[in-house]
Amino acid sequence: MKSRVLVTGMGIVSSIGFNVNDFSQSLKHGNTNFGYLPGPEISMDSAVIGATIKDFSLNTLLDKYTWLPVSCSTNILRYAGRSPLPVIAGVIAASEAWNNADLFNNPVSPERTGIIIAGQNLSNNYQFQLYDKFIKGPEYLTPRYAIEYLDTNIMGILSEIFQIHGEGFTTGGASASGNVGLVKGYQLIEQGDMDICMVVGCLADLSPMDLQGFKNSGAMGGKKFKNNPRKACRPFDEEHEGFIYGQASGCIILESSGSVEKRKTDINAELLGGAIVLDGNRMADPRQEGEVRAMATALKKCQLKPGDIDYLNTHGTSSPIGDNTEIDSIKEVFKNNLSTLIINSTKGLTGHCLYSAGVVELIATIIQLQNNFVHPNINLDNPVDEVCRFAGSVAETVEINIGMSNSFGFGGMNTSIVIKKI
Amino acid sequence: MCKDEIFRVIQKNIITVLPHITQDVITPDKELKDLGANSIDRSEIILKTLEDLNLKIPLTKIVKFKNIGALSEFIAHEK
Repeated sequence: MKSRVLVTGMGIVSSIGFNVNDFSQSLKHGNTNFGYLPGPEISMDSAVIGATIKDFSLNTLLDKYTWLPVSCSTNILRYAGRSPLPVIAGVIAASEAWNNADLFNNPVSPERTGIIIAGQNLSNNYQFQLYDKFIKGPEYLTPRYAIEYLDTNIMGILSEIFQIHGEGFTTGGASASGNVGLVKGYQLIEQGDMDICMVVGCLADLSPMDLQGFKNSGAMGGKKFKNNPRKACRPFDEEHEGFIYGQASGCIILESSGSVEKRKTDINAELLGGAIVLDGNRMADPRQEGEVRAMATALKKCQLKPGDIDYLNTHGTSSPIGDNTEIDSIKEVFKNNLSTLIINSTKGLTGHCLYSAGVVELIATIIQLQNNFVHPNINLDNPVDEVCRFAGSVAETVEINIGMSNSFGFGGMNTSIVIKKI
Repeated sequence: MCKDEIFRVIQKNIITVLPHITQDVITPDKELKDLGANSIDRSEIILKTLEDLNLKIPLTKIVKFKNIGALSEFIAHEK
């Protein structure tokens, strides 16, 4: 028998909050943390704007986490203390989610617990930073490099900290990596292969070369509002011009209904299902056919009609072609239900968190379902569409029961997941 | 540089690599293994020490030594 898939834990480290509570407050108040990116100058005709994690210290956070068992805290420092940022942010988000799911006090069998690391190319900036030193003295390259440059490094570290002995792997899906991880986690639980699955959306630590590549490809924005970083990220606004980079790591604990019953733990929401479909397209351009098929397939798998969805957390990156294609796709799928479907883009507040976007935006969706509000689209001054019902410039109180969250990625990736309030 | 100074450099690097170890536990008669250092940790501690001392010795030459004191002595000899 197929199992229901419940969300019992959530954790996040983002530019607008280092935990779920602070992140919720930022969503409610439309807080952002956009600024100029630190690091080496890269040649381009505009400032590089982004929403990075600032003033982040593993030691300070661990000191605040009084609920963390001392042995766990010691292991975190030992295994991850000197690791690259995606590992440290992932460990913090995972700790919060593990605690939220009450797994420190009320664990399940390690063999029935799985882990999915959603993300790819996680060590690009780590490699870039080591390069100069490597050229000067390759003999001194840390032996740890051979483990740390692999994307599975974070899986190994988390599985040792939390003693996860079931299935484990990484899911690469460009900017849809988070949703790909969630769909695969859903399948592990639904099929009864695991009782618990930790899905970690990994922080995208872009190197200066990666940033320049995005800039040269025309995907990145920031020119028009280079003197006002807070205004640069504006999904679905007439003046959108490309994505604005954001840093975050999020963690979701998925659990079978049977395990939840046994552990008598609290539930955040129910993941009803999701879909991953390809365009058969190696390039960066989004395509309506694939986006429509992702949303329609997700609805079909969840046995829902378009009118059942109250809220849509869009992919909404602030890129003209991306936003416009998504709006056309939404109109095709939701046709006569557009007046009751509320739409926003969390990227307007967090920036585009790339690999972790799907997980971060599922957390944002659950927070809104639980607290009956939709967060604002703070820079949506002139919407590109007059039919769709966009959230306004301040948070709106509204009861929403079922939400959909879209993530699309380069290489023709289209994903949609559906989440229900409990 | 004498072996005591080299010992102190090794001590500093052990604490960096093994943050749960306190300085007083690190004595010349201890082996890195006794302190909980796995093979990657041991290589890293030695490489960091060689780098601090601006020394280039192939790792294969220094994998076998009795304890931290003997390692300090070996490096002092090479310096």
